[in-house]
Amino acid sequence: MTQAGAPLATEPAVELNGVSLRYDTADDVLTDIDIRLKPGTFNFLTGPSGAGKSSLLKLLYLAHAPTSGEVRLFGQRTADMSRNQLSALRRRIGVVFQDFRLLDHLTAFENVALPLRVSGEKPEDYRDEVVDLVRWVGLGERIHAFPPALSGGEQQRLAIARALINKPDILIADEPTGNVDPDMARRIFRLFIELNRRLNTTVIIATHDMHIIREFKAPVLKLQDGLLYADTAYEQA
Amino acid sequence: MNIKMNPLLPESDAREAALFFVVAALCFLAVLATLVARGTYTAAEAWTAQVEGEMTVLVSDTDRRGAETAAGLIEELPGVERAHVLTDDELDELLSPSFGPGGIPDGIPLPLLIAVDAEGDTTALAAEIDTTLAEAGIAGRADTHSAYAAEVREALGTLRIAAIGTVLLLTMTAISVIAFATHAALLARKDIVDVLHLAGAEDRFIARLFERRFWLLGLKAGAAGSVAALAVTAIIVFSAQSSSAPSELLPKLSLDQWDLIILAVSPIAGALAARIAARVTVGRSLRSSL
Repeated sequence: MTQAGAPLATEPAVELNGVSLRYDTADDVLTDIDIRLKPGTFNFLTGPSGAGKSSLLKLLYLAHAPTSGEVRLFGQRTADMSRNQLSALRRRIGVVFQDFRLLDHLTAFENVALPLRVSGEKPEDYRDEVVDLVRWVGLGERIHAFPPALSGGEQQRLAIARALINKPDILIADEPTGNVDPDMARRIFRLFIELNRRLNTTVIIATHDMHIIREFKAPVLKLQDGLLYADTAYEQA
Repeated sequence: MNIKMNPLLPESDAREAALFFVVAALCFLAVLATLVARGTYTAAEAWTAQVEGEMTVLVSDTDRRGAETAAGLIEELPGVERAHVLTDDELDELLSPSFGPGGIPDGIPLPLLIAVDAEGDTTALAAEIDTTLAEAGIAGRADTHSAYAAEVREALGTLRIAAIGTVLLLTMTAISVIAFATHAALLARKDIVDVLHLAGAEDRFIARLFERRFWLLGLKAGAAGSVAALAVTAIIVFSAQSSSAPSELLPKLSLDQWDLIILAVSPIAGALAARIAARVTVGRSLRSSL
């Protein structure tokens, strides 16, 4: 099991207790989910389409509140936090969305710098850091390009760079290799592993790519019909 | 490396161009309504003051010489600026609305009227004139125009309420349109708002982006509307000044310092309304999410 970087704290980075989620009047999308993830762990979240993977991730990156149960991040109960505290907490979470969600009117540099910009940091202070990261994801030559001018793989790496710029404590990626070829998918996963090792970031990746899961050997959280069956070992995936 | 950053909200699009036109038009109407209402009110106030400062004394059972004597007695009273017996031409002009362009037919006896320009309380003065004339043995009665002036005052009150109501209605319409447009802009840019929100931007940060955008839009559109209103007002003033027969009851559009203050303040008020509408709309929208 790849669990690089020893946990620095005993408090779970992510803890869900009896969490259920329901949209409007429909049935539960998630039912009675319990999860505890230690800091610095690398985790896969898998399950068939419609199993609730994206909904679970939305709870983790604080896009939704659970219908019932509690979400704790870094030991803090999110339901007890003010809106500004939630914003501060979001800045500790990097998210790679399935559809990238890059802003088309901003350059590659500006998209990556976005989390720092909304934190109120000045461009002079983060310029070098952003340039280094953009180079690290292999887009140094495209730093002034706008997203529509980038290929799918380049957009993917740009979205990853944006998720990493804050050196997040938690990285959440929703089907991050859904739109790229297998070689690019491996490169992206190696990037996540490196991040996990270098920064002790807790990584949670939703994917249904079993080849990737087997190749990278990490714990698997398996969702089906809104239920989390078990913390299944990667060998069983 | 150039670190000049693009704005987080994209440059204005067709929706904002339409909003610019609507806000400019509303500001134009509001400013014009304010200027016209103020001008009308100023004209009516001046006219009422003139009516209230005048009296007419009808003398009877005497000839023109007796009337001249009566005018002399009246002019000596305190508070009277001028008293004179109306000439036939003046009477003709005064009564022409009743008799038409042909004038007063021959043979109709004309009343002897004394026009009195006064200051202060004309009601007390009228009683004093009546007493003075009675003591001099002249039959005469002073009319202060008070009933007529009271009607004008009542009409002025209605005019004032209508003017304030019109300006308020236009202002509320402008605010509602801006709030609606902000909401539409927010929905149109929900993807950007979501990304900013999930990247950790505080509500205040996101709201400020929209506030700044709509503040500038309101300021520019308001200025355009005010300039257009200034141009129209200048044309009206110029036309009125070059007219050979200006009417006392037409609005007195003068473009004095108060009018210029209205023109200067309106864009700022419009922009402020836009900013507040944006803040409230964005704040409400963001609070509906986690």
